[in-house]
Amino acid sequence: MTPREIAVLVLSLGAVFFAIVAAVGLLRLPDIYARAHSTSKSETLGAVLALAAVATSYGLGHNTLKVVLLLLFMFLTNPTAAHAITRAARERGIEPWTTEDEQ
Amino acid sequence: MSDAPETVGVSSYVGSPIIMATVRVVMPFVFTFGLFVMFHGADSSGGGFQGGVIVGTVVLMLGIAFGIGATRDWIGPRLPVALVGIGVLAFLFTGFGSVLLGAGFLEYSVYHDLGIPHATKYGIEFVELAIGVIVAGIVTGLFFSIAAGVGGERE
Repeated sequence: MTPREIAVLVLSLGAVFFAIVAAVGLLRLPDIYARAHSTSKSETLGAVLALAAVATSYGLGHNTLKVVLLLLFMFLTNPTAAHAITRAARERGIEPWTTEDEQ
Repeated sequence: MSDAPETVGVSSYVGSPIIMATVRVVMPFVFTFGLFVMFHGADSSGGGFQGGVIVGTVVLMLGIAFGIGATRDWIGPRLPVALVGIGVLAFLFTGFGSVLLGAGFLEYSVYHDLGIPHATKYGIEFVELAIGVIVAGIVTGLFFSIAAGVGGERE
């Protein structure tokens, strides 16, 4: 394998790992705040790693520039969207989930 | 549900500096990307409908970041309707213009006689732009109509 193929493989595996972490978090965590925490961080990293793998496999060129721009905006907008959603939930008065003995 | 309007009312809305900063940075790029998608409709994926939705999203982002009431006052009630009207007129003008020049409806190649180079290409792109303007106006108008609530009250 060439070094580029190894890099693409490592980046893709990382992307799959973080995407699975985000999916498990989204399905298993108890309320909106915990779910937003899981999806905003892991999902952003998963998407960014996947796009980095795509950019690496393209090599230098026109397409890579588009993918890198996409990666950059993913980094900016994904956490902001999660922030906006949780902020709206807070504004509507949704209480964070707590265990019994914390109450 | 009874106390919901008090807690969610736009008047009590305090803008988040994080959302505002992100929207300020991203907005021009989203607008440019919308135009990019519109102009690519002729020979690759994209087109007036998708591009128009992306351009309309700019107004939605402004509404989410700076408050829907403030954005609605800034845009004004006439601009979305004017955009839809201009788009429809531009489309009809292009469509029936070719009929007046003696060809079929939207037969762009006839515009070549008026001295426009690559008449078919630019004709398609002009129509895509018109469709994009229509869709952007409709998305903006629908967003403000839905945000106004069932009774149409201005909150």
